[in-house]
Amino acid sequence: MWKTILRRLIIMIPQLFVLSILIFIMAKFMPGDPFTGMITPETDPTRIEELREKAGLNDPWFVQYGRWVGNALQGDFGKSYTFQRDVSDIIGERAINTFYLSFLSVFLLYLIAIPLGILAGRYHSSRLDKTIILYSFITYAIPTFVLALVFLYFLGYQLHWFPTSGSVDIKYEEGTWGFFWSKLYHILLPAITYAILGTTGIIQYLRSEIIDAKAMDYVRTARSKGIPMRKIYTKHIFRNSLLPIAAFLGFTITGLLSGSIFIETIFGYPGMGQLFISSIASRDYSVITALVLLFGFLTLLGSLLSDIIMSIVDPRIRIE
Amino acid sequence: MKKKSLSLLVLMLTLLLLLAACASDKETAKENQETTPVTFEKKSSEAEAILDLSVTNDGKPIKGGVLKVAMVKDEPFQGIFSWELYEDGYDSDLMSWTSNSIFEVDQNFMITDEGIASMKVDHENNKVTIKIRDGVRWSDGKPLKIEDLILPYEIIGHPDYRGVRFNTEFKNIIGAEEYNAGKADTISGIKKIDERTLEIHFKQLSPAISYGGDGLWTYAAPSHQIGKIPVDELIQSDAVRKNPVTLGPFKVDKIVPGESVQYVKNNYYWKGKPKLDGVLVKVVPSSSISVAIASGEYDIVQSFNATKMPEIENLDNITILGRQELFYSYLGFKVGKYDYANNTVVTKLEDSKMGNEKLRQAMGYALDIEQVSEVFFNNLRVRANSLIPPVFTEFHDDQLKGYTYDPEKAKALLDEAGYKDVNGDGLREDPKGKKLEIKLASMTSDETAEEITAYYLQNWKDVGLNVTLTTGRLIEFNSFYDKVKADDPEIDIFMGAWSTGTNPSPSGLYGKADEFNFSRYTSEELETAIKNIDSPAAFDTKYRAEQFRAFQEHLEEVATTIPMQFRYEIFPVNKRVKNYNVNYGEGTELHEIELVAEEPIAASK
Repeated sequence: MWKTILRRLIIMIPQLFVLSILIFIMAKFMPGDPFTGMITPETDPTRIEELREKAGLNDPWFVQYGRWVGNALQGDFGKSYTFQRDVSDIIGERAINTFYLSFLSVFLLYLIAIPLGILAGRYHSSRLDKTIILYSFITYAIPTFVLALVFLYFLGYQLHWFPTSGSVDIKYEEGTWGFFWSKLYHILLPAITYAILGTTGIIQYLRSEIIDAKAMDYVRTARSKGIPMRKIYTKHIFRNSLLPIAAFLGFTITGLLSGSIFIETIFGYPGMGQLFISSIASRDYSVITALVLLFGFLTLLGSLLSDIIMSIVDPRIRIE
Repeated sequence: MKKKSLSLLVLMLTLLLLLAACASDKETAKENQETTPVTFEKKSSEAEAILDLSVTNDGKPIKGGVLKVAMVKDEPFQGIFSWELYEDGYDSDLMSWTSNSIFEVDQNFMITDEGIASMKVDHENNKVTIKIRDGVRWSDGKPLKIEDLILPYEIIGHPDYRGVRFNTEFKNIIGAEEYNAGKADTISGIKKIDERTLEIHFKQLSPAISYGGDGLWTYAAPSHQIGKIPVDELIQSDAVRKNPVTLGPFKVDKIVPGESVQYVKNNYYWKGKPKLDGVLVKVVPSSSISVAIASGEYDIVQSFNATKMPEIENLDNITILGRQELFYSYLGFKVGKYDYANNTVVTKLEDSKMGNEKLRQAMGYALDIEQVSEVFFNNLRVRANSLIPPVFTEFHDDQLKGYTYDPEKAKALLDEAGYKDVNGDGLREDPKGKKLEIKLASMTSDETAEEITAYYLQNWKDVGLNVTLTTGRLIEFNSFYDKVKADDPEIDIFMGAWSTGTNPSPSGLYGKADEFNFSRYTSEELETAIKNIDSPAAFDTKYRAEQFRAFQEHLEEVATTIPMQFRYEIFPVNKRVKNYNVNYGEGTELHEIELVAEEPIAASK
């Protein structure tokens, strides 16, 4: 198994290499560049051209690419044209924000979805099951921004239960408990919104797996041996039904960093989703390439993680 | 393994789509909008566009207090706290609380003697003498020195400086180019005379100098704090990002990057101690700002999008102030090309589809901009009559009629010019009888852009002109200017806009050598007027005003650039604020703002 993992990690290098070339070329295909937006009556077109030249944007793409790879290999992803700071600093800042938010979101998501899925499966066709299905249909149908805005309006502005924007209250010093709690407090509402909207898939998977498992031979055997139903559910059915969810866990973990543009925009929360979209709009090449590369790496890593997790939870699967 | 490379491929394709779509996801939705006829209902009440410029609320002021300011923005701010280095308007809004400006200006944006520094212009010798007041201190208590006035020039002129401010204007300072080329250690034209006096020598002074143009820099920089930091490291330094030393009524206390800034009063402020304890500025997403205003979260709101006016206009906890922006939008007609090899505009009226003056005028008369202003912008945009915004009272020509909505006149003009419907399809052919299709390039903006463009296309159709969209849809900002700059043959006419800044001079936008002269029109008359506006003779304001008039009249007549709209910006102000004024030149002194309640007031319904 270790050999396979190592091999998979090594094969990622050419994959990421190809990805980086593709993304580099495609980014250059976009009309305009970071300096296009700088036109005002006072700006001097020759100065803009000069800046372009100094930034090396007039070189052929492979020259630019070569320079970029050279720096990237030394851990230098360049400077953001928009923010005028090191790309790694900006992504680092946003990644931490996004990680906190996503982590709490996923935690709440499982907290809501797993019990509901189990209940719906166990008592399927009951009134409880129907209610849960209705719930999951409704949350599936509501667009993210609608629920986010509704929550923000009622829970934030009307009831004042939650802060309405930002990631932390400015009055706390970094590193104190107050600061930490303020951060947590700020991500609570966005995380709840995200969790409620994301439950459908897990509930449905779990429910149908459990319904299937109930009719399986091993369940019947267990029952005929007189094992109490509660024990059958917790010991046998639950573990088997979780397999498909475990299969996704790898992607979920790496997905923690990609962020959600809607949630971030509505709650004014500086995260990765927003950074990605705005860097495309402003043609912030250095940020775009670094982000895509990161997302690509995470996706590859996610699939590897999923395979590893599967081999652990399901003895039938072995990575060769 | 196969599955994995497939998932990578899928990822790449998704990204490809994303890249292609993100730039233009707004346009694709309603691609064929332009063919649908659009009609609008006229509103019954004629909304009044002119809003108050200032507010004073009754009530006993509280002691101190923190002013809460919302900055409407859907992304984090950049946070470059340096007048020399910042790039977007949000950062300049943030810096307005701390300032560093050494001059004050009057309502016409002319520099006065009221500020930290005063200026004497000697235009015969192309020399400016700047004197600073005694006893002015930085927010850390250190005195303001002449070196602090010189430093900004040495930053902008430095070979490592990577901003747009090193431009033609800046090179007007004697020695700036040599310094930039690394041939000199200082800028030879900038001389410290004594501890309070600075002399700057220019190659050629124009009236723009009195408005802070010609290369003059109107801010000071704390040399004791940033003087020793290398220019290329400055922009990432703490002195610019975290704890800038400043001259204004407030100083930065704390920053949450991209989200909020907390200011406290600057006890060394030269005009006296501020009455407020501090100011808190927070970024608020545009989707929730109206609710935030209603629930009394903020005292003053900056960058509020005027199209959201109906959401807040009936709130009883705020006063909405408004002022005209230094802005105009326009309709441009391509009548030539830019010769990039020789840096000159080449006008070819005869060869251009839009070369006929009457056709251009007719297209101006055909547009029902009045209705668009009312329906979509609640009269917070108004039909523009000239290419100089009315804020410049000295130079704006209010006698000009502009192209007001008059479809009959448009039709008459087209008939006269020989654009007639030959084949009876309801659309006019060109004078030679050939099919006429005019391509319009228009930019994406908010969700109303599609509808407005569709309405304009309909207006033109009503007078028999077949106008279609370049690329078939609205164009994203970057592509738009790429195409317009390159004189793309797919563009016959285009709708753009300019923020003019405080110097109204049209040079840079309409001159013969100007790349930004996008309609590519030039003529002797126009060139003379532009040259005269910035000539030494124009130090006489009356003469300058005449030349401005000549410029505006000439362009109105030839109609190669037709002004479309002027715009108002609005500032919702909570009733807790005792005094606030947004008028240019007489804006509230920030240190005199007071509050009348402990917290902002919420709306009662």
